[in-house]
Amino acid sequence: MSTIATPSGQPLGTDAGAGQGSQPDAAPVPRGRRRTELLMLVFVVGVVLLAYANVGLGLNGKIPAGLFEYGLAFAVLVGAAHMAVRWLAPYADPLLLPLAALLNGLGIVMIYRLQEAGRGGNGGFVITTMSTSTTALQVFYTAIGMAAFVAVLAFIRQPRTLQRYTYTLGAIGLVLVALPAVLPASISQVPGTAAKIQIALPGIGSVQPEEFAKLALAVFFAGYLVAKRDVLALAGRHVLGIDLPRARDLGPVLIAWGVSLVVLVFEGDVGTSALFFGLFVVMMYVATQRSSWLIIGFLLFISGSLIASQLFAHVRERFVIWLHPFNYVHTFSFQLVQGLYGLGFGGVLGRGLGQGQPYNTPLVQNDLIITAFGEELGLTGLMALLLIYGLLVQRGLRAAIAARDPFSKLLAGGLSFVVALQVFVIVGGVTRLIPLTGITTPFLSQGGSSLIASWMGIALLMRISDTARRPAPQPIQDEGMTQVVRAG
Amino acid sequence: MNRALRRVSLICLVLFVALLVNVNFVQGFDASSLANEPGNGRTFSATLQFQRGSIVTSDQKVVAFSKMNKNFGEYQRHYPFGKMYAPVTGYNTLYSQTGIEAAQNKQLAGTDPALEVHNLIDLISGKPKKGATVQLTINSAAQQAAYTALKAAGRESGVVAINPQTGAILALASYPSFDPNQLATLDGKKLIRNDKRLLADPAHPLINNAISTTFPPGSTFKIVTSSTAFATGKAADQNTQVPAPTKLTLPGTTTQLINDNGSACGNGRVQLIYAFTVSCNTAFGDLGLHLSGSALRTQANKYGFNDPNLTLAPGVQVAQSNFPLYTDPAQRAGGAIGQQSDTVTPLQEAMLSAAVANNGVLMKPYLVQKVTAPDLSTVQTATQSPLGTAVTPTQASHLQAMMTNVVQSPLGTAHLTAGTQVTGGIQIAGKTGTAQNGINNSGLDDAVFTGYAPTANPTIAVGVVVKGGGFGADAAAPIAVKIIEAYLASQGKG
Repeated sequence: MSTIATPSGQPLGTDAGAGQGSQPDAAPVPRGRRRTELLMLVFVVGVVLLAYANVGLGLNGKIPAGLFEYGLAFAVLVGAAHMAVRWLAPYADPLLLPLAALLNGLGIVMIYRLQEAGRGGNGGFVITTMSTSTTALQVFYTAIGMAAFVAVLAFIRQPRTLQRYTYTLGAIGLVLVALPAVLPASISQVPGTAAKIQIALPGIGSVQPEEFAKLALAVFFAGYLVAKRDVLALAGRHVLGIDLPRARDLGPVLIAWGVSLVVLVFEGDVGTSALFFGLFVVMMYVATQRSSWLIIGFLLFISGSLIASQLFAHVRERFVIWLHPFNYVHTFSFQLVQGLYGLGFGGVLGRGLGQGQPYNTPLVQNDLIITAFGEELGLTGLMALLLIYGLLVQRGLRAAIAARDPFSKLLAGGLSFVVALQVFVIVGGVTRLIPLTGITTPFLSQGGSSLIASWMGIALLMRISDTARRPAPQPIQDEGMTQVVRAG
Repeated sequence: MNRALRRVSLICLVLFVALLVNVNFVQGFDASSLANEPGNGRTFSATLQFQRGSIVTSDQKVVAFSKMNKNFGEYQRHYPFGKMYAPVTGYNTLYSQTGIEAAQNKQLAGTDPALEVHNLIDLISGKPKKGATVQLTINSAAQQAAYTALKAAGRESGVVAINPQTGAILALASYPSFDPNQLATLDGKKLIRNDKRLLADPAHPLINNAISTTFPPGSTFKIVTSSTAFATGKAADQNTQVPAPTKLTLPGTTTQLINDNGSACGNGRVQLIYAFTVSCNTAFGDLGLHLSGSALRTQANKYGFNDPNLTLAPGVQVAQSNFPLYTDPAQRAGGAIGQQSDTVTPLQEAMLSAAVANNGVLMKPYLVQKVTAPDLSTVQTATQSPLGTAVTPTQASHLQAMMTNVVQSPLGTAHLTAGTQVTGGIQIAGKTGTAQNGINNSGLDDAVFTGYAPTANPTIAVGVVVKGGGFGADAAAPIAVKIIEAYLASQGKG
C-alpha cells in the first residue's frame, strides 16, 4: 500500500520503502536515508581535506597553512546543508547533496592549487587573474550557494508552488538573458573576451545573470509545456517515419531558438546559447513524447551554428581552431592547445596535485578547470569526475521519473539534462570533441554566479525528489488492499 | 512522460560515454603526440628537470653544459664560450632549437632509443637521469683562432676548417655571432626580450654565415674551372699554355674582361699555373668561353655545388652553393672566374681545398665525433664516407702544384700574407678570391680564401669569406693562416 508506484506501474526500487507489500497492515516506515547522506558527506569532507593537504605537499612538501580553517569552514557548511535537508526535505535523494558537495570541494581545492602557483616559492608562475584571496572568496561563494540551497528548500515546500509563477519566472528569465546584451560593453563585457554576459558592479564584483536565467527558464518551460503539451503533441504530417508537429505549434520552439540566437549574436556566448536551446528542445520532447521535436531541434541547432559560423567571425574561429588547433597556437587556439597539452601531460595517472603546470593555460580557473584536473589527476581522475557528474544527472533523472506530477517531472528532467549538456559542452570543448565554447563547469569553475545557481538547481531537484519519495498520505478509507496508483 | 525521461537518460548516457571515450583518446592514445608537439612548454620544462648532456670539443673542452638553477628548480644551459661556439652548438629553447642542440636533441635529452637501456639501469640503481655527452669534431684551438680572427676583422664573415682526409669539421665560426646564454635563461620574459632583440639586430647575429650564407666565390672558383679544363682535356696539366689577353671582349657584348688593375697577363699566352698563380681573369674567362656550360656545372657539382641536401649533422642544413648552367658564353666567362650568379658558403670554399688536398676525394663533412652515455659507453660514433670524387689523383696533383704556387711563389697572390708570415715553416697552399659586388662593382669587394696545409700531408683545409673585406689575400688569407697555425700547433706539428 505504501509502495509508491510510478505511472507506468513500476516500483521505484529499494530505497523508498519497498518491501512493505507483504505487510499491508503494518504502518509504513519510510526511510529518508539521511544517515547514508551523512556518511557520504563525511567521506566527501575527508576526500576534500586529503586533496587539499595533497596540494600543499605537492607544491612545496608542506601541509598548507589554511587546512584547518578551510577544512572547518567546508565541514561546517556541508554539515549545515545536511541539517537543513534533515529538516526541510527528509526524504530527498541521499546522493545529490554529497555529489554536489564533492564537486564543490574539489573545485575549491583546485582553485587553491592554481592560486598558489608561483606564490611563496612554489613552482610555475602566478596566474595574474587570481589573487591570494581567490580561494577564500570561492569558499564565501560556497557559503552563499549553500544558503541559497537552504533558502530554496525552505521557501519552496512543494514543487507546485513554482508552477504558479510560470510566466513571472519566464519574464524574469528573459530579462536576465537580455540584460547584458542591452547594457554597455563596459559593464557587460567579460575582460579579455568578446562575451557580453555579465553585469559588473565596480568595486563589488560581477554577476552572470544567464546562470540564474537558466533556472528561471527551466521553470518557465516546465510550466508552459505542462499547460500546452496536449496541443503540441497533436500530430501534423507524417514524413519519413516521424510525426511532424503542426506548423502553428512550432511557434514556441522557434521563440526558444530565437532567444538562443540572441544570446549567441548579441552576447557572443555560443555555449550558453546551445544550453538554452538544448534545454528547451529536450523539455519539449519530454512533454510531448514526440521524438520529432528532438530531430527538428537538432537540425535547427546545427543549421543555426553553421549559419552563425558563416556570419560571425568569433563563431567561425571556434570551428577553425577545433579542426586545426595547432595551426593557430600563437593566437586563437593558444588556450585550447595549452589545455590539451595539460591533458596530455597528465596522461593516465596525472602529475599529482600541485605537480603539473596548469598555470600555463590562460584562465584555467574558469572554463578550462577540467584540464587542470586532467593534468594533475590524470585520465583516472577526470573519468572519476565525469562519473560523479553522470551520477548526479542520473539521480536527478531518477527524481524526475519518481515524481508524481508532470510539472515536477518536466522540471527535474530539464534541470538534470542541462547539467549533462553543460558538462558535455565544456568538457567536450576542452577535449576537442566539439568546438570549444566558454561556459562554466558546474560546481568546479571559479566564480559565484554559476556556483550559486548550481546549488539552487540541486535544491530544486532535492525538493522534487523529497516530494516524490515522501510517503503517500494515509488514504481516508484504508482497507489495506487497494493500491493507490497515481496518474503521472 | 517516463518513456521520454528514460530516453533522455539514454541521451545523457551517450553524452557521458562520448566524453569518457574522448578523454581516453586525448589522455591515453594522443598523449605522446601532444607531448611531441613543437612549442609544448610542459614537455620542454620536463626536460629541464634533469641534466641535459654536455657538448664537448674533440679535445674535451666543454662548450655547453647544464647546471641546476636553484631559483627555478630547473637545469639551466650554460655556454662557457658564448659567441665563439654559438654557430656550432646552437641553442635550446621552447619554440626553437638550432645547431647541435637540435641535431642531437634526443641524445642530449636522453630520450634516444639507444639510451633507453642506460636510463633503465639508472632508474633501477636510483641514479638521476642524465643526457648523453656529444663530442664534436671541433678542435678548440682552431675554433678559438677562427672566431678571434673573424672578430678582429669585424665584418660579416664565416669560416670553416675541415680535416680533408676525414671530413671532420675542425672549426666553424661566424661573425657577428650571438651569446646563446641569453637564450638559455629560465626566465620566460627575459627570454622573449632577448630573442626579440637578437631577431631585430640589423647585423643578423643569429644567422650562421659559415654554412647558411652564400657569397660570390670570386677567383677561388678558378680551381673548379682548372679542374674542368683537366677533365675535358682542354689542359693536359698545369704547364699547358693558355691564351691570356690583356683584355677579353665577351662575345655578343661590348664588355671587356680585364685583369686586376687592367694589367697584362704575361705575354698574352701563359702556362695555366702562371695564370692561376697571379689570378689572370682573362685566361680563365677565355677557358670559360671554350668549356661547355654543362661540363663546368658537372665539375662544380662534384665539388659540392648545387647540392640542396648537404647536412653536417641531422637537421644542420647547409645552404646550397650555386653554379647555374650558363648557356650564354659571356655569362659563362664570368661564371668561370667566380662572378655572375656563382655563390658559395665558406664551407664550400673549405670543401674545394679539402678535395684537392685529399687527392681528389671529397669527404662528407661532419660535426659530431661521438656520443657517450653517462656511463661512458659509446652509443654513436661518426662514420667517414666520401661524398664523391671531384678530380682524379693526377688532376689533383696538378691543382696541388698550382695552389702551392699561389702561396709559395713570390709571384703568388697570397705569397705575402700566407707564404712568408707563417710561423714554424708551415707550407700552405691555397687560392685567393676578390669578388666584386654591387651595381657596376660599386660595393666593397668580398675577400675569399681557400687553402690547406701542410702541403706535404694536408691535415687541414680552410675556407674563409669576409664580406666587404677587400682583397682576398689581404683580408681572408691571414685568417686562414691563423687557424692553420693554431690547429697544427695543437697537433704538435707546428
